Amino acid sequence: MRQYRQSEPVDFVIVGTGAGGGTLACRLAEHGFSVVAMDAGPYFRPLEDFASDESEQTKLYWTDDRIVDGANPLQMGGNNSGKAVGGSTVHFAMVSLRFRPEWFKSRSLLGYGADWPLDWREMWRYYSEVEDALKIAGPITYPWGPHRPRYPYRAHELNAAARALADGCEALGIQWTETPIATLSAPRGLAHPCVYRGFCTSGCSTNAKQSALVTWIPRAIAAGAEIRDLAMVGRIEADNSNLATGVHYHRDGQWRFQRARNVVVAGYAIETPRLLLNSATDRFPAGLANSSGLVGKNLMVQSNQAVWGTMEREVRSYKGPPSLAITEHWNYEDKGKDFFGGYCYMSQGPLPQLWANTLLSARGLWGPHLISEMENYNHVVGLKIVGEMLPQEANRVTLADETDQYGLRIPRITYSWCDNDRRLIDHSLAFMTEALEAVDATDIWRQNDDTCHLNGTARMGNDPLTSVVNADCRSWDIRNLWICDGSVFPTVGGVNPSLTIQAIACRTADRIKTMARRGEL
Amino acid sequence: MRRSNGVTATQIALGLAALAASSSLLDKRSLARARKYRTGEPKQAKAVYDNRILGGKLDVPATVTAAKRLNRAAGMLALSVLADSGVEHYRGSFKNKAMFTPLIVSAATLGVSVHGTADRRKAAHIMRDTTYLLAATTGLIGTCFHFYNVAKKAGGFSWQNLFYGAPLGAPMAILLSGLIGFCSERVRETPRGITPSIFDLPAGRAMAALTSVGLLGTAGEAGLLHFRGAFHNPFMLLPVTLPPLGAALLARTAAAGPGRRHPFVRWWMRLLVTMGLAGVGFHAYGVSRNMGGWRNWSQNVLNGPPLPAPPSFAGLALAGLAALGLMRDHPDA
Amino acid sequence: MPDSRPGTRFPGYDVLSKRQGPSWNEKTREVIAKRLATASEPRFFTADEFLTVVAAASRIVPQPPTRRPVPIAALVDRKLHLMQSDGYRLPGTPRDGEAWRLGLKALDLETRVAFGVPFHILKEADQDFLLARMQSGELRDPAWTDMASDVFFRMRLARDIVLAYYSHPTAWSEIGWGGPASPRGYVRIDYDERDPWEAAEVKGGNVVAARRKNNRVR
Repeated sequence: MRQYRQSEPVDFVIVGTGAGGGTLACRLAEHGFSVVAMDAGPYFRPLEDFASDESEQTKLYWTDDRIVDGANPLQMGGNNSGKAVGGSTVHFAMVSLRFRPEWFKSRSLLGYGADWPLDWREMWRYYSEVEDALKIAGPITYPWGPHRPRYPYRAHELNAAARALADGCEALGIQWTETPIATLSAPRGLAHPCVYRGFCTSGCSTNAKQSALVTWIPRAIAAGAEIRDLAMVGRIEADNSNLATGVHYHRDGQWRFQRARNVVVAGYAIETPRLLLNSATDRFPAGLANSSGLVGKNLMVQSNQAVWGTMEREVRSYKGPPSLAITEHWNYEDKGKDFFGGYCYMSQGPLPQLWANTLLSARGLWGPHLISEMENYNHVVGLKIVGEMLPQEANRVTLADETDQYGLRIPRITYSWCDNDRRLIDHSLAFMTEALEAVDATDIWRQNDDTCHLNGTARMGNDPLTSVVNADCRSWDIRNLWICDGSVFPTVGGVNPSLTIQAIACRTADRIKTMARRGEL
Repeated sequence: MRRSNGVTATQIALGLAALAASSSLLDKRSLARARKYRTGEPKQAKAVYDNRILGGKLDVPATVTAAKRLNRAAGMLALSVLADSGVEHYRGSFKNKAMFTPLIVSAATLGVSVHGTADRRKAAHIMRDTTYLLAATTGLIGTCFHFYNVAKKAGGFSWQNLFYGAPLGAPMAILLSGLIGFCSERVRETPRGITPSIFDLPAGRAMAALTSVGLLGTAGEAGLLHFRGAFHNPFMLLPVTLPPLGAALLARTAAAGPGRRHPFVRWWMRLLVTMGLAGVGFHAYGVSRNMGGWRNWSQNVLNGPPLPAPPSFAGLALAGLAALGLMRDHPDA
Repeated sequence: MPDSRPGTRFPGYDVLSKRQGPSWNEKTREVIAKRLATASEPRFFTADEFLTVVAAASRIVPQPPTRRPVPIAALVDRKLHLMQSDGYRLPGTPRDGEAWRLGLKALDLETRVAFGVPFHILKEADQDFLLARMQSGELRDPAWTDMASDVFFRMRLARDIVLAYYSHPTAWSEIGWGGPASPRGYVRIDYDERDPWEAAEVKGGNVVAARRKNNRVR
């Protein structure tokens, strides 16, 4: 791996190496720029470092101190934040979906949220690029939305949990398909195909999962980028000419400074605004890139409610990737809804610790009730949504007064559902209940409390007054400061965001190349 | 919406099923006719015949040589089926007791084929005949079972179920083994001076045609499964290109008429035999490419590429060679 | 129907029988060996606190007397000792370790006020009564300060105890889970399909058949 001196200003220093930063590091390095990408977490070697164990693998999660409040405080950690090279793609569930085209103009076309400054047709091309880069295993034809090219790899075999979803959809007369997922269904280079071990959200020790760690990062290194792990960036330095000059980061027990001609923040929707806010100076008292006052605002998670039941037959949903089958029916069908936005739902495969904690926290079970319910583990079947939540300025990331192990102020994450969020959730729970009843599940119950993913907090737009970055992820205020992760989403849609984040990163890299050629950097 | 996409593979399978069904209806008539000829065989014609056909070098009639080759081809196919259904039905935990049937039948078919390969007599053997017919019937019934299995799953004949459900084409291999074996018995018992024929067709050309269809069907099966593997290794293209070309060559041979030697087609068939045997090696490599390699055999032999599948091509190509041999040695066949 | 008594649904199944087989990699063996070797003495909790945690754990996750118990309290203790945190907390709730100390202190006080003895001395029914009141947020002694008792129950006490129990191979065997699975994963993944290296459930009352299958799990 090529290494850069701190005193040597690199073209780009990228903070974060997940779906946004990892992808961008790769594409910028391949375009010929000098790149140092930093991550607060370690550079894991999955084949040697990953155990088949839920507890041990919490080492992949971002578990630094955070305060959560609001009417519906978020659960952080495993379901939404990673601290490792590759970011949360190291433990994501690999679901790789495209936005519905109309969502890029949801304000104009659908009457809610905000418009994106991006055109869906351009995004369609970048989606294809990412799908090929990750060798997504998906269905031959996708039932919803405009035409897309065939997925590079074939869909995986459905497990029983996915069969239950399929049977339910058939019974209710809606379409379903195999979930396009970023885990190999055939060998690729040195990587083995998926072995259906079911530990996807605890990290893939097969290397079948096409995370940023095993796709973009090796490409980035091959193209000359440096990946600096265990490097916690605490502050971006900005000078008096409205330019960023580099980043202060903590590594090997001391603070250091990396000079750079451009700084890209890609820390996901909590750490990105936290870093911008923590980088406030006299010149930028409200934090960097924050002349709009929108840094940290419009935080959007996605509703992640579930309906669970028990089958007479053995399901053993712990086998295989958790979400092998999906229906996007309610993303594309607008009739019969009393809410804005959409949701998809997928089959589920919780491992024992997660399942036990779900029974405890969502159902209040403990004692003999918990023990006997846990013995039904192999018969449990569940459907879970990824649902759109609307952007609200009151849902936001601010700085708390307390500090963390680096002496940096910790984030305070405020979240409350709005009426529309609740109506969407109610609709989905009612529908999924029907779907489980249709496959003769018994003891059906609803899990109301869960959310997933992080977006917003530095939205992109066409107007510096109402957005933080432009369509190229370039901040309005500081021309060599970029933000490239889920933070830039103006709306969140009803699908998992990772594919869109990576598509935006690919586009951003291409745009930077074009602008560099024109001398516009 | 995906149903329509399943048609290509399904059509191949359906075509094969139709062919096999019509063939088996003809069996009884053909068998009866063959018996009639056998009783009236003129013994004194033997020496004349052998001299004419073989130039007096051997005392084994050309029909028996061809029959033995066909037994060998049937045996190779049966071996492939025995191993393949053994592995696949073990994977299916023998949930249905009927899943033992192809193991028993293919083992018996393999047994009688070995017997036939060593047998220099000119008479059909009742055990071999019965076993081969049983194998053909098993193939037909198995195909029905597999169609039922796929049809009942959500999505029906979707790509998902074609990829991962019971393989529609697989039972055809035991059907082909049975048909080839049955044909070998008809060829073997053909008297001196009479053109060996099957179903009233000249045996050599009929066998070439049957093998041609078999090669196409098997290539279709390989194509489906290699498509499932996204043709990630360029060698995966071999079994979807070489066998269809071989099938075309054989079909042309069958149409061209008797009395030619077809050296190129023979060479191509030998290539397919090699490919079929080498395929085991490729698939063994494929198993090693899965997580844990051969140390994790209990998973990878089942989830990796099927080791016993490629020899089906070798078996069919051997049948093709036998057919070509018969046409060469017996100009009227 | 399966036997409803705990621990009888997968007779003879022991996830540890796969320990040296292809389902476990080196890293997993190392991690689980360490967990199984957890000594029963506390490193984070004081002796008194630890007695309360042991008592609470035996009510949150009751274990049958017929086998060696999972050292739940010690596992919780190690996690706090190593400062392995969930990483998020409500305002008014301190970081994980401090939250435990605060919650245990408040519980102790509530117990002494109501029953005059420490929590671990109480009858099981009384312990359950207090835990249920904690779960519903009805314990409101000033000793709880800004941390609501229901939040402590859901996000710390019961959560940590439940997670600790289901991190142990004994619990995995009890629920018939396949356990660690790398390099070897699974082959048979449809309804009612079981790989030979998975737990067999008693079907149709045939305990012998299930036990025979489970004894062959490697």
